[in-house]
Amino acid sequence: MVNAFAYVPAVVLLPFFSFLIALGAGRYLPKGGAFGGITATAGSLLLSLWVAAAVAGGGEYNETIYTWAGGEQFELTFGLLIDPLSALMLVIVSLVAVLVHVFSLGYMNDEGETGLPRYYAGLGLFTASMLGFVVADNLLMAFMFFELVGLCSYLLIGFHFREPGPPSAAKKAFLVTRFGDYFFLVGVVAVFATFGTAAFAGEGSFPALAAAALPPDGSVDVWTPGGLDVGTWFTVIGLLVLGGVIGKSAQFPLHTWLPDAMEGPTPVSALIHAATMVAAGVYLVARMYGFYTLSPTALAVIAFIGGFTALFAATMGVVKDELKQVLAYSTISQYGYMMLALGAGGYVAAVFHLTTHAFFKALLFLGAGSVIIAMHHNEDMWDMGGLKSRMPVTYYTFLAGSLALAGIFPFAGFWSKDEILYEALVHAPGEPLLFGGYLMGLLAVPVTAFYTFRMVFLTFHGEPRTETARDPEPVRWNVKGPLTVLGSLAVVTGLINMVPVKTVFELKGIDYLHRWLNNEWGGIEGLSSHHYADIGPYSSQPIVGGEVGTVLAGAAVSLGLALAGLGLAWQLYGGASPAEHTAKLGGIKDVLYNNYYLDELQVWLAYRTEDVAGVADVFDQGIIDGVVNGVSSVSLAGGGRIRLIQTGLVSQYAGMITLGLIALLVILSVGGGWFL
Amino acid sequence: MAEPLVAWTALSPALLLGVTGLALLLVDTARPKSRSNTSMAVVSAVGALASLAVTVWFVVAGTGSAATGGAITLFAEAVKVDTMALFFTAIFASVTALVVVAAHDYFHDHDNPAAFYSLTLFAATGMALLAVANSLAVVFVALEMVSLPSYALVAFLKTNRGSVEAGLKYFLVGALSSAVFLFGISLVYAATGSLIFADVAAGMESVGSLAGVAGVGIVMIIGGVAFKTASVPFHFWAPEAYEGAPAPVSAFLSSASKAAGFVIAFRVFTEAFPLGVSLSADINWVLAFGILAAVTMTLGNFAAAVQEEVKRMLAYSSIGHAGYALIGLAALSADAPGNGAVMGAAMAHLLVYGFMNTGAFLFVVMAERWGIGRTFEDYAGLARRAPVACTAMAVFMFSLAGLPPFAGFFSKYFLFLGAIDNGFVWLAALGAVNSVVSLYYYSRVVKAMFLDDPASAGALDALDVRPTALYAAVVFAAVATVLLLPGFGPIIETAQSAASLLF
Repeated sequence: MVNAFAYVPAVVLLPFFSFLIALGAGRYLPKGGAFGGITATAGSLLLSLWVAAAVAGGGEYNETIYTWAGGEQFELTFGLLIDPLSALMLVIVSLVAVLVHVFSLGYMNDEGETGLPRYYAGLGLFTASMLGFVVADNLLMAFMFFELVGLCSYLLIGFHFREPGPPSAAKKAFLVTRFGDYFFLVGVVAVFATFGTAAFAGEGSFPALAAAALPPDGSVDVWTPGGLDVGTWFTVIGLLVLGGVIGKSAQFPLHTWLPDAMEGPTPVSALIHAATMVAAGVYLVARMYGFYTLSPTALAVIAFIGGFTALFAATMGVVKDELKQVLAYSTISQYGYMMLALGAGGYVAAVFHLTTHAFFKALLFLGAGSVIIAMHHNEDMWDMGGLKSRMPVTYYTFLAGSLALAGIFPFAGFWSKDEILYEALVHAPGEPLLFGGYLMGLLAVPVTAFYTFRMVFLTFHGEPRTETARDPEPVRWNVKGPLTVLGSLAVVTGLINMVPVKTVFELKGIDYLHRWLNNEWGGIEGLSSHHYADIGPYSSQPIVGGEVGTVLAGAAVSLGLALAGLGLAWQLYGGASPAEHTAKLGGIKDVLYNNYYLDELQVWLAYRTEDVAGVADVFDQGIIDGVVNGVSSVSLAGGGRIRLIQTGLVSQYAGMITLGLIALLVILSVGGGWFL
Repeated sequence: MAEPLVAWTALSPALLLGVTGLALLLVDTARPKSRSNTSMAVVSAVGALASLAVTVWFVVAGTGSAATGGAITLFAEAVKVDTMALFFTAIFASVTALVVVAAHDYFHDHDNPAAFYSLTLFAATGMALLAVANSLAVVFVALEMVSLPSYALVAFLKTNRGSVEAGLKYFLVGALSSAVFLFGISLVYAATGSLIFADVAAGMESVGSLAGVAGVGIVMIIGGVAFKTASVPFHFWAPEAYEGAPAPVSAFLSSASKAAGFVIAFRVFTEAFPLGVSLSADINWVLAFGILAAVTMTLGNFAAAVQEEVKRMLAYSSIGHAGYALIGLAALSADAPGNGAVMGAAMAHLLVYGFMNTGAFLFVVMAERWGIGRTFEDYAGLARRAPVACTAMAVFMFSLAGLPPFAGFFSKYFLFLGAIDNGFVWLAALGAVNSVVSLYYYSRVVKAMFLDDPASAGALDALDVRPTALYAAVVFAAVATVLLLPGFGPIIETAQSAASLLF
């Protein structure tokens, strides 16, 4: 059998070639290079499936490909790491990328957009960067692809660069995530300084060294600054890297770029929010989970930030009028759940939600794209209504995605969200931060269901409120196809990990994702959920009625809350011609509309930074430039004098040469005492 | 080629240059009517490149290096071929090739350009001989072999007042300097009883009461070196000669001739007057070079800052760079492990300088060929009509100023670093201050070319002339200046290992 792992570089390189082709020859190709992109990503998908099958067959792969800088203290390398986690992620990313490429045919080509080669080049590079990030075997390589992902998002969000909004949104996305990446970079340097390696897996990897360095083991000595306690220092490193995660995964307080990023073309939003950029942050934590589990403090911080973001973003989604804005806040909120899961020790739950969310959120964005095509690029939900009967494929798939997002049984989101809340609940006793995260996560459930179905009702139900909504533009196969695929996945993905069913009915072995991530088929020692649970700080404590009781109670509570939110949305917006109810919120409405004034706060902070920079500027202008200017005026004056001695008379030159030589003679002879 | 079949083949780089010069003379004499500027330029360039190729081959093969049996000595030890000699020969041959190619366009309407090519190649032969000289007598003869064609070259435009005047001044100062140098040699001979470097060094150890005589001789030899390298106070000829001479000659003199001065300084002062021996005889020539380096770089840079003409600015800047290269001698100290490093860095700087300075002067050649003026203002807006050449000039300027990412940055960096390692922080600091000053006047050129508006609408019409060979030479020099950055590792290693052998 040919070794699947030999083709892992091709998974990354195929979309990269499509980027090169679209960039170089896109204008001569039909559809602006779209087919190249579709072929390349489809190839990546097939190879990813093959790789996943190879992992299922007991394989694993952890090799250094290229050492680009070697030193005595450490080497900087590129390498590949294929284990169950990265194999799963490869499939998700390449699948969503294929569907987004196909959808783009309908959204971009059929709509007569210009600059398509640039668009498809961006998509190709974006996909390649994300795939490279997924297979990275060390933190530095991950950081480099992380940055590439950020660059591509900048290019794609600002695709319509002639309009005022997109360039500004692109800059914002770039700068805000860059702010987080700065901490990440410091973290990478700290990892190198501490461990001398940044490898994720293997005997000499930094999570393994960290585990060995901590008491009670303590068999490895690592560098810490100023003799800091090892555990404290690890927490610091973890939080530094977390800075990059918070920026990319749009967690509070660096989430502000994401809603603005909706200025990008809708397929790009689907790619960014479902499978690539935003997922990158969460994936990074999962990737180096063996390191984070060593630091209870870092985990608690992650859990609390995640829970808080989940609730916080959900509340802002409640009042938005534009379709994509609602989805944007739901994205932030859902990634908050994943962070909560990771912080709560629910490694599998987080990966599970990452998977289901990738599918149903890509579905929702593409569905929104379909609606936007139909509505001639009007995104205001108050101008829609009644689209249900006019675009049934979009409606039913969108509904499936919404039910998944709201966490309604038996759609995909129910299973994953339920497991997150269950993990947080059973690990919460004695962990106040984690318990706070759990409560906020629970509270976000009805809010999520409410805004999701407010969106569904306003968009698809009731009477059409505008002429466009009465006669929407039809969409073609290239829009319906991806929607159908993702719609099916949104319904069934939950089946890969039905832990509650397993627990209640004692059906062993149907929690496939648990077994997958536990290396039951194949994987790398030290990168399994089992291992993480062993070294993690948490112990499970059933709350009511043993394990079965807790599972049932948790599921019942979250499902009940979700249904309550859904019901409220139906009550308020389910009628034939719904009215705005936001005024009932009073002053809170303004706060929510303005996103808690966080943008204003960041701008204010930026200006305060400018004040500090002003002081530095005064120093630079006054002291540094003063010295430089002084040197220059002295040199100009001195130079003027020197010109005077260049008289042009050779006899004077001869005289001065002789005098100079004599001066030199005198200095040396007196100094050396030659003639004494 | 570790061991040459016949020992004198080790001299082939110099011989190739000389034979090419003779061949040019022969053709010019035999068929004066059919001589053509183009064929002369091609033959000269081929000769120079052949010499360069052989030199590079020798360096790669290790001829004369310690690994393959040490230096090759010939003619009763009057001549010695080692890696340092080959390193400098490579500089001379490269600059010669660039200059003759550029001269083809410069002399396109000249009546009799043949003499230019043969004189240039004879001067280059003299330089190559200087690099291998192992005796003070050979040094003097070779020095004159470089100087005499140079005087003629500076005065080459016989009907041009400036050129003739510059040639005369150069000759007079040169005559004075040669006299000083020769007198110095005779004093050293009187004190040590030999002209061969190794024997002079042996004689220095037992110089006894004749230390004063030897000391005066050494200071006079320093004077001769200072003339060739255009260092203070023997620099007076340089601005006038560079300005009056045809621009290709200025390029040749300021790059190759200066490097020739340095090769002799490096060799004589390490082999004939080793530092430890000289110091025990109370002859502190390091101090002399320290003073010269400091004064030269300061004077060169400060004077360059106030010039109005680009060519004259380059002339002073080349004086300033002589000051930097002198650090290679001024930052030595007895038995310090870093001596080879700092002198090697000076050698590498001279190599890089050979390309960037020649390139800058060749750009001036191009400006003269176009017939635009000589001042900074006359260069205003040039980049609009000649973007490639102006980009190349910007590369030269920034590299001369020592900005990364150009080769000039690394050579200067290693030079200053070597000085600091050897305990001469003050020299490095002074060099850094001077570099800051130099950035001012170098960037003036770039600003004029790229940012300023042309004086009048028709001011740039002359640029319709496209001198192909000149363009090629300028672009080649620019590419070399950039490529020397990734290639700097092997160069600095070769230079430093060659220099380490001298201590």
